[in-house]
Amino acid sequence: MTGWREFDQNLVSHSAAHHLTTIQFLLDEFGYARVSDVARHLGITRGSVSVTLKGLRQRGLVIEDEHKHLGLSDEGVRIARGIHIKRILLQTLFRDVLGIEDEVAEQDACKVEHLVSDDTADAVGRLLHKIETGKAPQQMQKMMKELEKESSGTVSDFPSEKIQKFAELLEQRQTENEGDTK
Amino acid sequence: MSSGITRDEAIERLNGLLAEEMEASMRYLHLAMMVQGLDRLVVQKVLQDNLEETLEHSEQVAEKILQLGGNPAPKIRIDFEERRYSGKEALQEALLFEQAALDGYRDLLEQVDGCGDVILEEFARQQVSVESEHVSELKMLLGE
Repeated sequence: MTGWREFDQNLVSHSAAHHLTTIQFLLDEFGYARVSDVARHLGITRGSVSVTLKGLRQRGLVIEDEHKHLGLSDEGVRIARGIHIKRILLQTLFRDVLGIEDEVAEQDACKVEHLVSDDTADAVGRLLHKIETGKAPQQMQKMMKELEKESSGTVSDFPSEKIQKFAELLEQRQTENEGDTK
Repeated sequence: MSSGITRDEAIERLNGLLAEEMEASMRYLHLAMMVQGLDRLVVQKVLQDNLEETLEHSEQVAEKILQLGGNPAPKIRIDFEERRYSGKEALQEALLFEQAALDGYRDLLEQVDGCGDVILEEFARQQVSVESEHVSELKMLLGE
């Protein structure tokens, strides 16, 4: 299992992702972004913002003009928009498909938005689009309604016995599949 | 407080500056541990001296908050890079957070300038002066 290595080598860290999306948000909303604005928006110190931005500037993602106004390079915009869209898609998936409470869905989406691959995000987007346009199989729509009914709010005993047994079955099946392909 | 800034706003501002100073202390400590190269001992001494000064500043800011009837409650969230720094890199990073602190004190001074609280105004002015010296010193060491 090498997923943890990919995690370490991820293009942007959680903190960097927040800095990029915040700059994009401030530029869209107010037309400018300064270190102090980013710090206020994220609830952290200017010192922390300055240190993080140094790395992002060196990587050519953030630019700063002579008036200390921040901007994003084309690549910076691409990454910021990508992360923002992943957050929206994942939050929607968690809330509307899995029936997770909106606040928890938002927090969980925020935790993984910068880690999820473009392929996965694209698949999530296509799935949500099918559901939105009524093109999802009827069986799936029925299942979503059942999930919504079953949902009891906050889970206090994860993993439940039922889920644990099911996960073990899935793991066993995966191991068998891996054995078959070797 | 007569105008410009309310007591609560001043306390909030000062708590922000307290967080800057305390984070700077931790960053100086970390940089002093992680600096390497031929100039390690010289740079380490500069970083350790600055660490002591930022701790003093933290105490002064906390004292000011208490004088205003507030509680020192800095919100600190800090990520350290897992790497070694050359002397130059360490000083460049120090310059970034010293400049940030200076900008913070400048903003405070702008807000309290002429607001009627002479003690707070004088404090902000003094901190701008001290932080400006820090920034100039670091720039001189970096040859900027």
